[in-house]
Amino acid sequence: MATLEVKRVFKTFEGLKSDRFYVLDDVDFKISENEFICIIGKSGCGKSTLLNLIAGFTKPDNGEILLDGKAIEGPSAEKGVVFQEHGLFPWRTVKQNVAFGLKLAKRKDADQRADYFVDLVGLTDYKDKYPSSLSGGMAQRVGIARALATDPKLLLMDEPLGALDAMTREKMRVEILDIWQKKKKTIIFVTHSVPEAVYLADRVILLKDGQVKLDQHIELKRPRQVRTEAFQNYVHELEQLLTDCDDNVFSE
Amino acid sequence: MEGVQLETMEYKQRKKISFIKIDRHQVIRIVSLIVFFLGWQFICMINETQELFNPKFLPAPTQVIEVAVKYIMDGTLLVHIGASVYRVLAGFFAGVVVALVLGILITKSKMFDNTISPLLNLIGPIPVYAFLPIFIIWFGIGESSKVGLIAYATFMPLLTYTIDGIRNVNPIWIRSAMSLGASERQVFIKIVLPAALPNMFTGMKVSLALTFSALVVAEMMGADKGLGFMIINARNWFKTGDIFLAIALIGILYSLFLSAIIRIEKIIFKWKKDGLDGAIE
Repeated sequence: MATLEVKRVFKTFEGLKSDRFYVLDDVDFKISENEFICIIGKSGCGKSTLLNLIAGFTKPDNGEILLDGKAIEGPSAEKGVVFQEHGLFPWRTVKQNVAFGLKLAKRKDADQRADYFVDLVGLTDYKDKYPSSLSGGMAQRVGIARALATDPKLLLMDEPLGALDAMTREKMRVEILDIWQKKKKTIIFVTHSVPEAVYLADRVILLKDGQVKLDQHIELKRPRQVRTEAFQNYVHELEQLLTDCDDNVFSE
Repeated sequence: MEGVQLETMEYKQRKKISFIKIDRHQVIRIVSLIVFFLGWQFICMINETQELFNPKFLPAPTQVIEVAVKYIMDGTLLVHIGASVYRVLAGFFAGVVVALVLGILITKSKMFDNTISPLLNLIGPIPVYAFLPIFIIWFGIGESSKVGLIAYATFMPLLTYTIDGIRNVNPIWIRSAMSLGASERQVFIKIVLPAALPNMFTGMKVSLALTFSALVVAEMMGADKGLGFMIINARNWFKTGDIFLAIALIGILYSLFLSAIIRIEKIIFKWKKDGLDGAIE
């Protein structure tokens, strides 16, 4: 069970001079269980700030964020995070990385569970390798396995595919959807790629200047076909809204 | 399949060629050393007949070896080496421990940092050898003043590396650990310390040179054994062969210590280079 409520959240810039005062300006939305949410927006729109707040790394200046009705106090194993730069511990092998959270929780089945999740992302052959010998896509898969292993209620992904090449990205999207359907997780996925968001999400939240400009359900059957008209319509509509943002920048 | 085989063959060939290359470099290095010692020996031999300068000023390598054999036979050399090794080990480890403890305290507590850092900045730049007389007055002419000076010489540069290492841990590792349920203490022990360790080893390699300088200086003042003492004692008796022997031994000891640190580094940090052979998707 994992529902997330972001209630009228404000966050100010810290020490940064900017034409606007709030990074997040009255952000308000609700996420229900097993939903796949994509947050899109241009750089500086506040999407990473929002993710950091939900992860508990920072606190909102005003408003509150509730996970299953309880305010988020700080980072915890309830909220798994996958970072753009994978963030694997380089001195631990693939399996030791995946087992990290399990060992902290003193789970007796840590070993088997780590093996299971390494296998889930297809890296059993590499489980005793160090991250330095993995490719970008493999490292990102370990990052996902590590975040999933502790069975978090909520999976937060901060542009996890941003550093990957186009081919690997496509493969990883399919894998992430596969894992999401198998594991029944609530996922918040931050990206700046509109087609990626339309491909993955149940619901797309578009952030602009720290405000929710659009909260759009994607009513397409899975697996989604990128080349269909319905898909492209969603992409066009969202891209239109994003470029409006650019016009504002130029007119200033 | 054939293509793959060809490729691996080519790879092997290339590897072979690179081995030959390394060998050639190695040969030149060894030849350079041999020429140096032969030249030295040659000059001394010419000097014996021509009497260009007092042969006492520059003993031949063979004479130095003779001196070494003599001291090995009467057992004194081992005593000197043993004393120096003990002092280096004790001083070096004491210095590492103090640097680690102070480094942790300084990075953990702003209050401690503000209290101690100005003092360290005040005393730190002063050459450690200036403190030796006062160390002797405080701690006596026994081992503690020498080990103390060596420890101090080791700890000063190492502290900077330790603090740097702890402060510059990749914040994503810390966030990752926290979002996997690690407490602040667990983050420190399981993430910050292992992440700072490579920097500490770099610091150890840098400060080892100072460790050895401190050893020689400490043994030159108020010691009755050790390689530094051997040098100063030989000077008093004008035994230049002894001086060269002690100098050579200090060089060898330093190299041995350095290679020991590098060996340990390679074992601990094998994660740094796991080889890219595995990264084929």
